[in-house]
Amino acid sequence: MTDRPVKVPNHLSNVFYRPALAQVLRVDQLTKVEKLLAVRLGTGEALGHEPGQFVQLSVFGYGEAPISICSSPTRRDAFELCVREVGTVSAAIHDLCPGDWIGLRGPYGRGFPVVEMEGKDLLIVAGGIGVAPLRSLINYVRDNRQLYGRVIIVYGAKNPAAVLFKDDIELWSQDGSLELFVTVDTPDETWTGKSGVVTSIIRNLDLNSPSSLHAIVVGPPVMYKFVAMELFHHGMTADRIVFSLERRFKCGIGKCGHCQVNDLYVCRDGPVFRYSELLGRSEAIEVWAPEEDK
Amino acid sequence: MAPLMHVLSFDGLYDMLRKAMEDRPVISPTERKDQPGFYHFAKLERAEDFAADYVTTTLPPKNSFFQPSETLFTFTLEQPPQLQLVSDTEHFVLAGVHPCDLSGLEALDLAYSQPPAEVRWPSDRKLATVVGIDCKPDDYCFCSSLGTSFNREGCDLFLTKVGRGYLAEVYTSAGEDLLTKVRKWEPAEEDLSDAEQWRREKIERMSAHLDAEVGEIADILEAGGLSHIWKAVAERCYSCGSCNTTCPACFCFNTYDEFDLSLKHGVRRRTWDSCQLLEFALVAGRHNFRQERWQRVRHRWHRKFLYLYRRLGRAYCTGCGRCSRACTADINMVDVTNRIVAHAGKGAEHD
Repeated sequence: MTDRPVKVPNHLSNVFYRPALAQVLRVDQLTKVEKLLAVRLGTGEALGHEPGQFVQLSVFGYGEAPISICSSPTRRDAFELCVREVGTVSAAIHDLCPGDWIGLRGPYGRGFPVVEMEGKDLLIVAGGIGVAPLRSLINYVRDNRQLYGRVIIVYGAKNPAAVLFKDDIELWSQDGSLELFVTVDTPDETWTGKSGVVTSIIRNLDLNSPSSLHAIVVGPPVMYKFVAMELFHHGMTADRIVFSLERRFKCGIGKCGHCQVNDLYVCRDGPVFRYSELLGRSEAIEVWAPEEDK
Repeated sequence: MAPLMHVLSFDGLYDMLRKAMEDRPVISPTERKDQPGFYHFAKLERAEDFAADYVTTTLPPKNSFFQPSETLFTFTLEQPPQLQLVSDTEHFVLAGVHPCDLSGLEALDLAYSQPPAEVRWPSDRKLATVVGIDCKPDDYCFCSSLGTSFNREGCDLFLTKVGRGYLAEVYTSAGEDLLTKVRKWEPAEEDLSDAEQWRREKIERMSAHLDAEVGEIADILEAGGLSHIWKAVAERCYSCGSCNTTCPACFCFNTYDEFDLSLKHGVRRRTWDSCQLLEFALVAGRHNFRQERWQRVRHRWHRKFLYLYRRLGRAYCTGCGRCSRACTADINMVDVTNRIVAHAGKGAEHD
């Protein structure tokens, strides 16, 4: 995975930090704090991304922020971005309407190892907004279903109102070739599904051949160690578990230094890493978090 | 192979600068009018203002290519927006660069050219003809420990003071062009021995030294177990970022947008940034991957002597000593590094 050359589509390869123009086609309010944007490049070209990659999205006058791509590259007419409102740029993104123009650089970064995982069983674990980049992977896998073995999806949200992509989940649950588990930490009276954290689901999974399994895990930093622990109990090894890390990229190409995890640039060397690549590196998932997130 | 050499008189140097100033700006070290005794790289107005004997400048010459704050592009706030790239196109001469600072420019050339390469930095670099000049160290300089004392990489012409003027080593045709129509002599035996004497004195006068080779320092940092030292340094550090902003080999930056009062136009700016600032590794949700000051102090040392050394094959320190000079808490790069080396030495004895 590490030796793969960094691939940047030609139309966006000229790194003067000047974005290409793109237009918002559709805005859907997914939850109270998350919106889904459908976007098309001004040139009409497909973005040409891999599942797990991200773009640097500009709202001119407010700035630029890294946003993971949540649609599959197999859907070529437009691509989708899921944005939680947490800061200045994401608040400006939430104010966008269909027809508005934005700036885009990328796609950047190393995505999920979709080629290497061909022929293997997949365990996809999503926590919170971590489901956004995984939706790209899941829909990619559905569109190339014959290339992959068993596909198990475990998605955990804080509560029923925080569950993202309810339309997709409906489709996934009807897809007999997927094993889908959606769980919430704190259910309410409307919730008829599972409750509890994702690790409790993983613990009880029947993984009959862990040696052919790849686990793809995206969620808050605190989740990673606990998920890894469960996966090790199932007999998995660190080289077949991949995580995707979040940092505040300013450049997206390994220059600005903001995303550095020891010697790795998350934007350029990741954001997708094997667990084995992160072992022995400090600051990868150890994080200071505000009291309410602990 | 030895470079082509000429000798200029002291006036000959001024002639060279004057001729260059006729057709393009010359950026060189000059004494600051607002702070006598301090030097900065600035546009030369009179050839006589060229400071040949300065010890060091507060800011490194990288700001000739990447200003502390610069505009990347302008945009309009209409739909769709109009974007206009802002980049320099004017050729210039950067004169009076010390060997350590040449190494700093080379460090940034290497860093910014890693794929996906940045276009902005190299396009600005190509506009410059660089004239190096040899120097004498002060108590903060430790370039001999980094192997940059005699560096000539990235310069077109290099000057060393000799008895009757300057010995000029020519490295490129752009360097030779600067000497067209300037009176010059073939170097005599005495000029060469004067230059040799200068270099010898430079090393003899160097009082600050790292107690280990860079490769050994990388190994020591990698082995870890030094958090008590980082914590002790962090006790004194104010996280002001002066070390980063004066460093010739630091290249981190931030970007942000500004728009004007008419609400019609705006600019995307990029500024130098510092990994010592609390906000540097902050992400959404107020999660911070280097919340503790000692983690940021460690990050700076690791980045200079371990991460980038392993990745790019050279230390991201040139031995210029600017960080130690600028530090508001008197944290000294050489003292702290030697403390780490000493600690590792003690550990080895115990084993």
